[in-house]
Amino acid sequence: MGIRTALLATALGCALAASDAGAQELNVAIFGGSFADNVRTCVAEPFQRATNTRVNFVLGNSVQNAARLRATRGRPDVDVAYMDLQVVVQAKAEGLLDQIDATKITNLPDIYPSAVDPDRQWIGFMYSATAIAYNPRELRNPPQAWADLWSPALRGKLAIGDISATSGQHFLIAAARLNGGSVENVEPGFRAIRELRPGVVTLYTQADQVVQLIERGDIAAAVWFADRVGAAARNGVPVAVVFPREGAIGILPTFAVPQGARNKALAEQYMDRALAPDAQRCFAERQYAGPTNRKVELPDDLAKLVPYREAVDRLYFPPPELVARNLPAWTDRWNREIAR
Amino acid sequence: MAEPRRDTTGLLLLAPLLGVLTVAFLVPVLSLVPTSLRPYVAGRGIGEGWTLEHYTNVLTDSFYLEILARTIGLGFVVTLATLVIGYPLAYILARSESRWRHWLTLLVIFPMLLNLVVRTFGWIALLARRGLVNQWLMGLGITDEPLRLMFNFTGLMIGLTHIFLPVMVLVLIAVIQNIPRDLEEAAGVLGASRAAVFAKVVLPLSAPGILAGSILVFVLTVSALVTPRLLGGPTYKVVSTLVYEQFLQLLNWPAGSALALLMTAIVLLLLWVGARVARRWEARE
Repeated sequence: MGIRTALLATALGCALAASDAGAQELNVAIFGGSFADNVRTCVAEPFQRATNTRVNFVLGNSVQNAARLRATRGRPDVDVAYMDLQVVVQAKAEGLLDQIDATKITNLPDIYPSAVDPDRQWIGFMYSATAIAYNPRELRNPPQAWADLWSPALRGKLAIGDISATSGQHFLIAAARLNGGSVENVEPGFRAIRELRPGVVTLYTQADQVVQLIERGDIAAAVWFADRVGAAARNGVPVAVVFPREGAIGILPTFAVPQGARNKALAEQYMDRALAPDAQRCFAERQYAGPTNRKVELPDDLAKLVPYREAVDRLYFPPPELVARNLPAWTDRWNREIAR
Repeated sequence: MAEPRRDTTGLLLLAPLLGVLTVAFLVPVLSLVPTSLRPYVAGRGIGEGWTLEHYTNVLTDSFYLEILARTIGLGFVVTLATLVIGYPLAYILARSESRWRHWLTLLVIFPMLLNLVVRTFGWIALLARRGLVNQWLMGLGITDEPLRLMFNFTGLMIGLTHIFLPVMVLVLIAVIQNIPRDLEEAAGVLGASRAAVFAKVVLPLSAPGILAGSILVFVLTVSALVTPRLLGGPTYKVVSTLVYEQFLQLLNWPAGSALALLMTAIVLLLLWVGARVARRWEARE
């Protein structure tokens, strides 16, 4: 009898707790680490207070989030999914995304047109870039251009990303463009990186590895993300960023509403909140993210660290469909020629 | 009359396990079969129609074949290493009458209580270019340059051997404990040397344990993902890291499924051959 009563009470308690959490709940598939913490502070918590909604984060990287949408096609368990540009275009091509209602996103007119899908299936909420990170204590004359990474002074002091990391793909594109190639012809890029490879300390797969490599003094420079440099420098890591002369490679993380999402209207409200100037500014300060809302004003010291205004125009954004289509072939070749 | 009834009881007793295995293992594996036969277009997703290209791609490509061979080779070497290191350990623990025996057994199990990622990071700290092992070797003047102990076969072998050693030891202890000590004493009384007692009595009688432990360690090694990803890095791949890459980095589920199924088939074949060889060996003894 005791057990049965206890079970009943537990069940009842659970039911009560569930209903107590409010009828509204929003599930968001989002990148992990400090990114999720900062989105919680800048977007989710204010949204929660304003709408009495509980926002649940489900952590995963871009591809894992796309895989989640594919596996639950039409009956997704999330209402908003964060994905990088070259992944979100694939999710769109697979018919996994719903169209966002423009009238529901009041901040949409202020978002740079390049950050919004023409079919309105995704919106970019921040700019970042693959650039050059260096340790100012070790390098008096930091590299100023992609081409400088081939200088003998950096032999045995440089880390680059593996092809599985966005920075690896971007460095391949940068190396190709530097040597007369393009996204469609990466042959010169492979040749150049093969030549660079013996002097490369490591091919990192997780962005955070670079922090340890710099702190241990294993490397003096790396091809890395501008926003990560800002966050690491604030934590006392001796690192600074250079946006290379030939153009850093632009990164546009986006969010989208999956086809068949249970709370589409609420998801759109959440997105609108994330695109509002105050949230964008908060995210720029904490995540070193370049705002995609043109109304955001940043102080000068911060503006130097993030892609902001004219700096965004100097970024090169590789056509995401081309990257998505070519990535398997690049990976295959990279595994054989570079990562061996 | 009693015979068939006992059979149904046996089946009933097995039913929960069979049910769990069917739902948690057989159905997921079989559901990979149709996926592995679908075409895949990068940037567009999984297509319609059927194709064998993902299988032929793997089987006709020297890069994939090298990694298949490397993975299976790793399985054999780690199995052998755990057996060679584990057998004496298990024998001593099983035969010991010391009151510390239980504590010593606990020491063997202890690594299993630690999270796999933590254990692997421990090895990274030891094996890295500026890790503890290289510091000692260079400090003692044994080598001038740091040895490459990570991102290669050596690193994976060391890490996986350590991680799977307790599995081997635990299986062997159980089997060796069940060998009556009288048999060893009887052989000794009849004039067999200690080496002969071991080779002709203990070793054959512990064959089932050797086989079971080897199968376990082999299967765990060739399917390990976390340790190869951390200790092998992007430059030293095994089959499981390739499958992970296809599924979770390239979204190419068909190619990943084909690779996973091929690996499963090869491992099942090896286990079948291994079990047959072992049975013949036991029968001869």
